This record gives sequence, structure tokens and C-alpha cells, in this order.
Amino acid sequence: MTDLPVAIASPPIGFAAAPEPPDLLAPVKLRRGLAGFAWRHPAIAIGGALVLAMVFVAVFAPYLATLDPTAIAPARRTREPSAAFWFGTDMLGRDVYSRVLYGTRVSLTVGFAVAILASLAGLAIGLVAGTIRWADGIIMRVMDGLMSIPPILLAVALMALTRGSVGNVVVAITIAEIPRVSRLVRSVVLSLREQPYVDAAVVAGTRTPMIILRHILPNTLAPMSVQATYVFASAMIIEAILSFIGAGTPPNVPSWGNIMAEGRALWQVKPYIVFFPAFFLSLTVLAVNLLGDGLRDALDPRLAKRL
Amino acid sequence: MLTYVIRRVLATIPVMAVVALFVFSLLYIAPGDPAAVIAGDQATPADVERIRQSLGLDRPFLIRFGEWCWQILHGDLGTSIFTNLPVANLIAQRIEPTLSLMAVTLVFAVCIAVPMGVVAAWKVGTWIDRAIMAFAVLGFSVPVFVVGYLLAYIFALQLDWLPVQGYSPLSNGLWPWLKHLILPAVALGSVYIALIARITRAAMLEVLQQDYMRTARAKGMGQTDLLFVHALKNAAVPIVTVIGIGIALLIGGAVVTETVFAIPGVGRLTVDAILRRDYPVIQGIVLLFSFVYVLVNLVIDLLYTVLDPRIRY
Repeated sequence: MTDLPVAIASPPIGFAAAPEPPDLLAPVKLRRGLAGFAWRHPAIAIGGALVLAMVFVAVFAPYLATLDPTAIAPARRTREPSAAFWFGTDMLGRDVYSRVLYGTRVSLTVGFAVAILASLAGLAIGLVAGTIRWADGIIMRVMDGLMSIPPILLAVALMALTRGSVGNVVVAITIAEIPRVSRLVRSVVLSLREQPYVDAAVVAGTRTPMIILRHILPNTLAPMSVQATYVFASAMIIEAILSFIGAGTPPNVPSWGNIMAEGRALWQVKPYIVFFPAFFLSLTVLAVNLLGDGLRDALDPRLAKRL
Repeated sequence: MLTYVIRRVLATIPVMAVVALFVFSLLYIAPGDPAAVIAGDQATPADVERIRQSLGLDRPFLIRFGEWCWQILHGDLGTSIFTNLPVANLIAQRIEPTLSLMAVTLVFAVCIAVPMGVVAAWKVGTWIDRAIMAFAVLGFSVPVFVVGYLLAYIFALQLDWLPVQGYSPLSNGLWPWLKHLILPAVALGSVYIALIARITRAAMLEVLQQDYMRTARAKGMGQTDLLFVHALKNAAVPIVTVIGIGIALLIGGAVVTETVFAIPGVGRLTVDAILRRDYPVIQGIVLLFSFVYVLVNLVIDLLYTVLDPRIRY
């Protein structure tokens, strides 16, 4: 009561001042453009910004790195982090900072390649299973079988057969990820088939390939892109695990898993060799997962509810 | 009910057949000729051919697959190339630490994750809910070995509360056994906890909206009973399902966790087998764990009727 403007006379005792009428026509704050988008979808903004930063690091690794990541220098083995060697040096004297930067390339390449390949293969398999009835049973039994092999073991078993190379790692992880993607596509296709507009298209005499192309395929893209980001994150983790246990990229490639595997023997005395790549890996996976959660909420609220 | 059980058990046969066919194909296309390995360096091509015929390696794919399946059904998982010991024996020697690790992780994770999910659903929209969900995203993102090294660094190296690595068999006493498993179990459990907590929250949110929850509240049921007895029981089916599905995470993660904490289990055996290109060992482990995984999920499917009496088959 005391801080009412002087112009308004204080009400007589026993009467309360009428409450301010609510401002019914308060200006709606419309946030447009990039800033508005970021405000509405903070997960996409933060995750996307972090992923872009990582892509930047990967692309410009040669300019950001201070030393050749593969240069061996026994004279400066296992140095602690310092001004000259920001993340220290490993047991062969290689600069951990430069190796971690180059490791971004391996991780993002594997994640991106697996996301694209597994999505394409999963899309094709899921579409076939969802539209051709007799193929559905066979395909889904095979997928059930592959899904009952834990993904890491599946990738390990495949990698044991071949030489370690980035390409082979991509193929092995893709095979491990395909079943989940194709199951998702199939379930989406099956629910889309029941939609009235698909019935309408059938009644109108549209041919099946055209229905798939015009009505089914575009509607699978939203859940697919969400799934693809999760596959991206999962592929980066599996790649690091494979390299860490010696079944991934060859030891001369500076991938995060390899750097950690090399730091394993020394980690109790020189923990930084393990922790710097571990931090980058966790941050990148977190960024991609945030992006995925944001996309899920933005693109498909029903999926968000189902989780 | 009985027909359902029989049908469900029969349905696992094609799944296991696909797994077996896949694993056998890997063995079939694996580089290196077992006959040449057995014959040794001095052997002539004729010797190798003779050994190949005596091993039956020259016969068609399907016949060999059939015989291999027959062996598997008799518990014969093949022979290690490197140690020349039966793979089944090698796995049996190493199974205790792995089973201990997985059992401790399972119990620990369920005890933490389910209350977390329940509380998040109860306090939905508040900072508690957001904190728990943020933790879940973090749990999904930080890989097993990163959590493992971080925990070992803090609690073993810096604070010196728990052993850095190693394993103590259960026969050496309960506490030494548990002491060695706490850090690995927390590391291995992080992803699993995140998964279970998320599903528990979603399932609980669904149940809390039901009319019977309002009725129970109107009858004067206490908040704890309401959440943990009334609601959780009705949310049990999806939660138990995801606990079963998540065992794949435990199996895969065990390989890494055992490497980080130097636990001499099946995971360690896998890593050693990879380094030595010991294919029969790798395939035996993949086959065994996949079968265990299928069986666990079969049991959970059969449990549905116990958990939710409304489900009738």
C-alpha cells in the first residue's frame, strides 16, 4: 500500500484497492529467426552448436594442432600438460592435444558414415518389410536374431574377421545398427498404411511405388532423422570401445579409443592421457544426444511422449 | 496360458537359429585354414588336404552347419586355436567374475533407477525431475570406460577407499568380493540406470493419470504406498521389459569394464581372443551370450502374466 503513487488517494480504511485489471492485450513476444528457434528448442541449439564446434575442430585439425599427431619423439615421453604440450605427451612422446584433435575426425567420420549407411539400409529393409507381407515375416525373424546379439559383441565378432581399418569399423557398426533402424521404419510404415490418406490414394488408383514415394517415405523422415542422430552417438561410442579393446581402427590412426588404449598401461601415473580423449568423446556424444532429444521433441511430439 | 508358453518358447527357436547361422557363417568365412594350422609348417599340400578331409572341412556349408549345431546342442563350442582347449571350458573358467559383475550391476542399477524414475514422475516438471532426466542424458552419453576411469581415479587413486582394479572370488569372502565390484558395477550400471529411469518415469506418468490413482488418493492412501505399491505395480510391465532388453548393454559393457578394471572374466577372454585372432573363442562367447540374452527375455515375457494379471493369453 505504501508504494502506491501519490496521485492515487489511499482508500478509506476498511476498503481495499481494486486489483489492477489484467492486461488482456499484453503484446505477445514473438521470437523470430535463429534466436527465436534457439529459444524454443534449447536442446537443438546447444547440441547443434557443440556438434558444429566439433565439426570445425575436425575440419581445421591441421591448423589447430600444434604438432604432428603421429610424430614420435622419445626424448619428450610422458610429459605432463604444459604450455608447450597442452594435453601432455604419451609414452611415445606424441602430443596428446594434436592427437585428440585429429581423433575428432575419426569419431565424426565413423558416426556420420554409420548414421547415413544404417539409415539408408534400415529404410530400404523397413520399407520392404512394411509393404510386402510375405517378406515381412522372414526379414523380421532375421532382424530379431541379429538384435539378440548384443551390438558390441556383434561388432567385435565382425571386426575379428577383418583387418582393422576405419572402413571396416564403419561396416561392422552399421551391420550392428541396421536391425533397430529397420524395425523403427517398419513400425512407422505399418501405422502409416492405416492412415485415411493412404486409403484415399489406393481408392484413387495410385500405384504402390507412387504411394510409397509420395505418402509413406516423406512421413518416415522425421522419426528416421531422430533415430539417425541416436545411431550417430551410439556409433561413436562403439567405435571408441572397439579401438579401446584393440578391435577397431589400426593403432597408427589417432582415434580417441586408440589414445585411451595407449594410455591404459600408464593411467594410474599419467591419467591425463586417458582423460582428455575421454572428455572429448563424452562431450561429443552428449552434444549429439542433446540434438537427438531436441529433434525428437520438435519433429514428433508423439514419439517424445512414448519416449 | 499353456499354449501361450509353448508358442512363446517355440518362437525363440527361429531367433536362435538365425543367431547360430550368423555365428557359424563368421566361423566359415574366417580367414586362415584350420587344416593348415593343425598340419603345421612342415606339411605338404597333400597332408593338409588329408587333414581337411578327416576334419570334414571339404563338405558343403549346410551339412557342416548341421553338424556344428549338433555339437552346440551337446555343449561343445569348439576348440580354441591358441590354447587348444575346449572353448566351453575356457568360458567356464572365466564366467564367475563376469556373472558376479553383471549380477551386482543389475541389483544396484534396479535399486537406484526405479526409485529415480518414480520420483521423477511424481515431481514431474520440477527441478528434481529435470535433474534426474539430465542425469539420464548424461548417463547415455558418457561411455562405460570413461565413467570407469573417472570413478577409479577419484575413489581408488585419490581417496583410496576401494581397490583400483582386480577381482576377488566369492570364496575369499563376501566383503572383498563386493569391494572389488563396487566401482565396476557403478561404471557398468550408468547407462543401464539412465535407460531404466527414463522408462520408469514414462510408465509411471501414464499410470499416475489413471482414474484408480485418484480413487486411491481419495481413500486416503499415503503418498509412499500410492507411488511404490499402487502405481509401480501397474507400471511394472514396461519397466521389467526394459530391464531385460538392457541386459544387452550389460553384456557389451562388461567387455570394456573388465578391461578397465583388470577383471579376469569372459570380457577379458574376448579381448585376448581378439588380439590372438582366436575365432572359435570369439564365436563361442557371442553365441553363448546371445542365447542367454534370448532366454532372459523369454523368461520376462512369460513373467508378464504374473506381473499383470489382466494380461491373459
